[in-house]
Amino acid sequence: MNFEWSIIWRSREALLEGTLTTVLLSVVTMTIAIAGGMLLALMRLSRWRALSASSAAFVEFFRNLPLILVVYWAFYVLPELTGWQLDAFSTGLVALSLNVSAYNAETFRAGIMSIRKGQGEAALTLGMSEVQAMWHVVLPQAVRRVVPVLASTWISLFKDTSLVSVIGVSELAHVSLEIRAQSFRVLEMLTAMAAIYWALGYPQAKLVDWINRRYGHTE
Amino acid sequence: MNPVIEYRAVCKNYGSFVALRDVSFSVSKGEVVCLIGPSGSGKSTLLRCTNGLEQISGGAILLDGAPLPQTRAGMRAVRQRMGMVFQNFELFPHRSVFANVMMGPLTVLRMDHAAARARAEALLDKVGLADKAASMPAALSGGQQQRVAIARALAMEPAVMLFDEPTSALDPETIGEVLSVMKRLADEGMTMIVVTHEMTFARRVADRVVVFERGGVLLEQGPPRQIFDAPLMERTRDFLSHLDWSG
Repeated sequence: MNFEWSIIWRSREALLEGTLTTVLLSVVTMTIAIAGGMLLALMRLSRWRALSASSAAFVEFFRNLPLILVVYWAFYVLPELTGWQLDAFSTGLVALSLNVSAYNAETFRAGIMSIRKGQGEAALTLGMSEVQAMWHVVLPQAVRRVVPVLASTWISLFKDTSLVSVIGVSELAHVSLEIRAQSFRVLEMLTAMAAIYWALGYPQAKLVDWINRRYGHTE
Repeated sequence: MNPVIEYRAVCKNYGSFVALRDVSFSVSKGEVVCLIGPSGSGKSTLLRCTNGLEQISGGAILLDGAPLPQTRAGMRAVRQRMGMVFQNFELFPHRSVFANVMMGPLTVLRMDHAAARARAEALLDKVGLADKAASMPAALSGGQQQRVAIARALAMEPAVMLFDEPTSALDPETIGEVLSVMKRLADEGMTMIVVTHEMTFARRVADRVVVFERGGVLLEQGPPRQIFDAPLMERTRDFLSHLDWSG
């Protein structure tokens, strides 16, 4: 068997672009999904049945579907339903955001519910409205408490972005697999892909460990 | 003198469980009323109904002669006039002592920062914790935390202070410092309703003691001298005699 490791160096620009796309996709997805997850969590805990029921339906729907199915669904069905023709990147972004928002919603909800009832009551007895009590007292504590969970969701998301390669988003996995298909350098390209994912993922995982130690167990 | 708070045949049920049964008494301005009685006799529930954390099932609670409002906005206005101190302090652990005391004035009264700061400084000084302003609540002892909680409630300049077993979660050696702050407040003329198991405090500070018994029934009320030395009801004597361990 002969190897041709130089293919990796020759493909460096494409690989770098793919890597940047992966990072961008992860960052934008997480930004949307933190806002979306928070909104869904607050809807879920709302007094209004219509809000909490629709949030519950959304979360249970997207949390229990395989991500790859959501990706295909966003690619084939969403344009039919909405009439929007999105590019591959945006389509992948929609699919990932739906999925991660559902997860974050459960994370935030658990965080909010883990805050002692007396905290909200103490805020109310000062004369705060329920919105003020949530904003000034409950949410800041809840968010702090779920930082470790959000961090590990982030790690999963970073790797799961590779799933949108199936609809042709030029992120790292897609780029690597394309080069492999054109050059037939399977082992080399898979190795390169693994090395890049690992090199980016490992420091993040270490960072998450540190976050867990920092925020993991405080009242 | 017109009562500040008046309870008229207040009832509270949780399903078929009766927490309060036809409780009636009133609290005048400047009066210190201690509620005593065994656990589960509805004392804390009555406090929580007083500022709308729980809804009464029957009867009425009047503040300055007017029934407690039914609207959220109305209840919020009422709560601003009633400070509440909890058994577990319930300081906001993510904010400094200073920020805890300023929270009400800043968010509810929309006071400007300098004024809120001045008020918080004065109150922390009053409870003897001026030097702890920058600390986080977790760095304080239980007694210190409870004193901050009292300052936080006072920052809204309430007309009435409600204390829900303020010393029950404290180490014995820090109970005294909290009771001293409460005594000073009473001496300044604050209207106070105190749910407590501290009989010495009730005897020395209360103007009136209200005794509850299991089932949420008001057993009797009167000045501390009467309740502790010559209770009218046999069951009051029973309850008080069980507080002292006699071996």
